[in-house]
Amino acid sequence: MIRLNKVSLRLGNASRSSSVQFDLPNFEAAQGEKVALIGPSGCGKSTLLNLVAGLYRADAGKIQVAGSNLPTLTPAQLDRHRGAHCGMVFQTFRLLTPFTAVENVAIGLRFGSRKGMDVQTKAREVLRRVGLSNRLHARPNQLSVGERQRVAIARAIAGGPSILLADEPTGSLDPKTGREIFRLLLEIAEADNCTLLMVTHDLTLASELPNRFDCSKLVKTNKNEDGKEANSA
Amino acid sequence: MSLTAMAWRYLRFRWFVSLLTLFGIAIGVALVSAVLALRHQSEQAFSKDAVLYDLVAGGKGSPLQLILSSVYHLDSPTGNLPYSDYQRFQHDSRVLWSAPIGLGDNYKGYRIVGTEVHFFDLPDQDGKPFFQLARGRIFEDTFEVVIGSQVASSTSLDLDDVFFGTHGLVEVPGAEIHRDFPYRVSGVLAPTGTAQDRAIFGTLSSVWEIHESEDRLHSAILGSAVLESRQKREATAILFRLKTPGLRLWMADEIRNSTQGIATVPVNEILRFQRSIIDPLQRILLSISAAVIVVAFLTVFLTLYQAAERRRQDIAILRALGALRSEIAFLVFFEGLMLAAIGIILGLLLGHGGLALGSETLYAKTGFLVHPWEISKTESFALLAMGLCGAIASLFPAITSYRRTPILDLQLNE
Repeated sequence: MIRLNKVSLRLGNASRSSSVQFDLPNFEAAQGEKVALIGPSGCGKSTLLNLVAGLYRADAGKIQVAGSNLPTLTPAQLDRHRGAHCGMVFQTFRLLTPFTAVENVAIGLRFGSRKGMDVQTKAREVLRRVGLSNRLHARPNQLSVGERQRVAIARAIAGGPSILLADEPTGSLDPKTGREIFRLLLEIAEADNCTLLMVTHDLTLASELPNRFDCSKLVKTNKNEDGKEANSA
Repeated sequence: MSLTAMAWRYLRFRWFVSLLTLFGIAIGVALVSAVLALRHQSEQAFSKDAVLYDLVAGGKGSPLQLILSSVYHLDSPTGNLPYSDYQRFQHDSRVLWSAPIGLGDNYKGYRIVGTEVHFFDLPDQDGKPFFQLARGRIFEDTFEVVIGSQVASSTSLDLDDVFFGTHGLVEVPGAEIHRDFPYRVSGVLAPTGTAQDRAIFGTLSSVWEIHESEDRLHSAILGSAVLESRQKREATAILFRLKTPGLRLWMADEIRNSTQGIATVPVNEILRFQRSIIDPLQRILLSISAAVIVVAFLTVFLTLYQAAERRRQDIAILRALGALRSEIAFLVFFEGLMLAAIGIILGLLLGHGGLALGSETLYAKTGFLVHPWEISKTESFALLAMGLCGAIASLFPAITSYRRTPILDLQLNE
């Protein structure tokens, strides 16, 4: 399902010696596997997630995701591949403020090349699934933070992706709500047999996932001319 | 949800900025539309009157003044010509039609034009009669009059109504009213869309009779002798239609050389007037309007650019959801295009609506009939050009959004 092999990526401004080098010898996740990506800040967890999503292009290496070798895809193919196979959940929800909950989900469905789907019906159905059947027409600023993350999850799963990429989905939530959101994400991933890659700093939550991948040695920080460490990714 | 619906929602979301931008575009477009429409229609209206007559002869003075007073019923006459001059040229072989006119009085600001019955035989450019009666008949008796359509509608005069003329060409409080000489309406003309709609046409002999009676009264008071009235009978101007326009200058020269007055070609005079006075004024107005439009479209550019900058994260999210670069560019471009299109339509309505509101007053004051909703070719091109400006102003923010790298804007936390 997901296989990264000898992937390297230089991030930042190389000419000013303030770049970081991301090197991943090998990473694999089978269909339906749930993996927690752990490690300290700046170690490359989100970079790995974005490489899988196709938001970063690797300088070298192989990235196989849902049957496609991402480095060989054109930018447009990458966008469509991401829309069709990956559902993304972010720490700060990233809902589109002018749109209601149901519209946010419908917009998520719009870009996934899912022709013939009744977008509105599907969006309502998915929002019901995450427990927001009574908040369909609420705008993001009318929702609690927990509800916002539920909308974001609904948006991510609406198109029936085979991969769920969650970047610290509980990072902006209080522990109780965070746990609820984590449970919801896990239940959905299990029910839909999705591969789940979840970046988290919460080792308790990470320990509840069957697999953990330590990202702490993926990034090397280049030294600048003064011999000081440059900013991390 | 379609991209166009999303674009519309984003416009509505920042409604205040959108409204201000729309207002800027609409004002600029309204100015350009109104100026161009007025220019086009004034040219048409001016030329419609100007081509009625090939030549106008009158007393010595400014040729433009002669044309304005005798054709457009606007300015003071230059002076008079002996009626015998009219009689001399009336049967000239080059003349297709001619008529003398005499001015001196008005009714509620509408000039009473003394002329002769055959004035109404004036042919239009196709050879058909230019004047048509809406009701009644042409005058037969000395103090019968035929009134223009605008006079009828604004004074409520109708067939068989009686009124008194006031001395002078404009309505002045306290001016002498000729109460001894009542006029009776015998006919009402159909609208012509020219200055003739603002005139009251009576007999030349009525004008003479009123003013000879005044002269007699003045002479009696001063004790001076009264000249033989028939000897001093005059016409304010003589209007000519020639058998061919090529005879205009020849005939004008002849009139100038053989009379005490001048003769001028209305079309030439009006063209000179437009080129020397109207056109520069219009150019100034158009320049101001163009500046307003440039500022308005710069605002479109800035609004979209700022909106795209503020929405960097939204755009990045859409890309993360699978949106193509081209779809994002279309979204931003379409927002600008919608702003420009709505602004242009609003401006068009504002400009032409303004003309519609002012057209009646303009017609009443000047006889200049404006068709407020008519769009000329020049205006269509200008609107198209403005649409193009809107598209160009929208294109740059769209290109910027197209080039944006979503991962930088997502700023994912690790």
